[in-house]
Amino acid sequence: MPMAESEGTGSKEMLFSDLTRVRFTNLDKIMYPSVYVTKKEVIMYYIRMAPRMLPFLSERAVTMHRFPGGIGREDFYEKDAPRGTPEFVNIFTHYSETADREVNFVVCNNLDTLIWLANLASLEIHITLSKTGSYEYPDLLLFDIDPEPPLGFDDVIDVSFIVREHLENAGMLAYVKTSGKKGLHIVVPLHASQRFVEVREFAHRIGKDIAKDTPHVVSEFPRSRDPGTIFIDYLQNAQGKTMAAPYSLRGTPPATVSMPLRWDELKRGVRAEDFNIKTVISEKEEPWRGIFDNKQKIGK
Amino acid sequence: MPRAEESEANNKKSGTTAPVIPHPGESAQQGKAGRPFWSGSITIGLVNVPVRLHTMVRDLSVSFRLLHKADGQPLRYDRVCTKDDRVIPWADTVKGYEVRKGEYLIFEPEELKAIMPESNRKIRIEKFVFYLALDPVYFETSYILTPDRSEEAYSLLVTALQDLGRAAIGTITLRTKEYPVVVHVYGGGLVLTTLRYADEVTLPQAFETLNDLPAPKEAELTLAKRIITDLSGDFSMTDCHDRYREAVMNLIGKKLAGEKVVYVEPHPEEAKELMQALKETLSTLSAK
Repeated sequence: MPMAESEGTGSKEMLFSDLTRVRFTNLDKIMYPSVYVTKKEVIMYYIRMAPRMLPFLSERAVTMHRFPGGIGREDFYEKDAPRGTPEFVNIFTHYSETADREVNFVVCNNLDTLIWLANLASLEIHITLSKTGSYEYPDLLLFDIDPEPPLGFDDVIDVSFIVREHLENAGMLAYVKTSGKKGLHIVVPLHASQRFVEVREFAHRIGKDIAKDTPHVVSEFPRSRDPGTIFIDYLQNAQGKTMAAPYSLRGTPPATVSMPLRWDELKRGVRAEDFNIKTVISEKEEPWRGIFDNKQKIGK
Repeated sequence: MPRAEESEANNKKSGTTAPVIPHPGESAQQGKAGRPFWSGSITIGLVNVPVRLHTMVRDLSVSFRLLHKADGQPLRYDRVCTKDDRVIPWADTVKGYEVRKGEYLIFEPEELKAIMPESNRKIRIEKFVFYLALDPVYFETSYILTPDRSEEAYSLLVTALQDLGRAAIGTITLRTKEYPVVVHVYGGGLVLTTLRYADEVTLPQAFETLNDLPAPKEAELTLAKRIITDLSGDFSMTDCHDRYREAVMNLIGKKLAGEKVVYVEPHPEEAKELMQALKETLSTLSAK
């Protein structure tokens, strides 16, 4: 968008427009009141994290979780590209079953789109488990593991190692990240050669196997809210379903991040809040680096 | 005109870059149920009916912001001293009442505060009158009253007023001003309308010519009445449109579709860090 407004502003040494096509608004708006994080800091976070995030975002339909007035105020999920979406934003049009209509999904293929999402106060960025070019064939397999009180994060950590072991037995390499909320996400990169239904059934089978031998673990949705259980959710492995993108902020009071971790740093005592907008930015390691060089096929 | 006591009533959405594209037909839509801006109770003798107050009337006229022609940035109004042209901060201002041209009586904030009516969160009812006997010339602004966990008492009041065709006359204190009000039944609920004071309204009798009008001739009167009868019909407020507003909204829509839009530039110091981060990330990305 080379806009003509630069006339008369020649005195400034450098314009934003030289670096980004995004027009920033309300930079000093408080997004996270309890930790006093402004929108400027949110945009800053996403600018800094872009090199790590973009490989996970590109060619995927994005679901925005927007908090226009900051967290604690009105928030909403948005799948459709909003009115006024700039032309540098790529769009993927696909029929959505939940919405029962064609949806124009935002695809975050470039830095400007990521910054634009941040400026829209889309604190959370969710991605599909398949790419737009092979929408019915997932290249990510997801186990979403959440505890019900009185069980907590430590119990989820225990269960995640069991899931990892089962996947190893099936000859598969698993990656782990915090969801940024209550639980953990275990992800396996795939070749995108099998349909969602196969992948989902495989994930369900692993969940059932574990639930059979492990106290508190449940594999079926109807029991997922029972107190004192840990649900291994396989249901997200479906077309159009999403997960919080790696390094996405979450709409929690301490501004947590969905943080990719090395298995050996995942120990009892680790907490989702340890990984937040302030701490993650200085983290140099990339535990999920090269994840797409390890694409696998689901085993038996 | 009373203003919303807590300004959350103007629920301005921010934090989004998507331009607000106006709907030209919006004026035809009815207003939506909004959040209350005041809560208190209707007091009749010893009886209290807790209620919430909502705006009923909204101003849909289009407002423009004044910008600097050269760079499209919004202008700010400052208080400038007429004597030395200096900008005066709020802290250095004081209120004055002009007694004669160029002569002011100075008031300290405390002095004015001392005589301000106390906002006691009450709509105090003094008497009940026939609603149709009220003179609409004195009606100022209407608000909707909703029950505040007082549905039964509220409903009782609605039904009783409705059956008797009466309205309640009383007072409310909003912010710093006390208003005479009428509370009447409208559309199944209670509506509060602030009233103008008698000395705020000029009556037609004030005009000499009106006190001395000639009596019309019989034949002319018959003709005039017939014309009026012929043109009589039903009237609906939805037949009225603000044509100027519609034209402006259309123009805004057209401009947004193709014309240049200028944005507020962040302050340079605010943007500096972001620009630095952008530069670094761009170089990292291009190195990959």
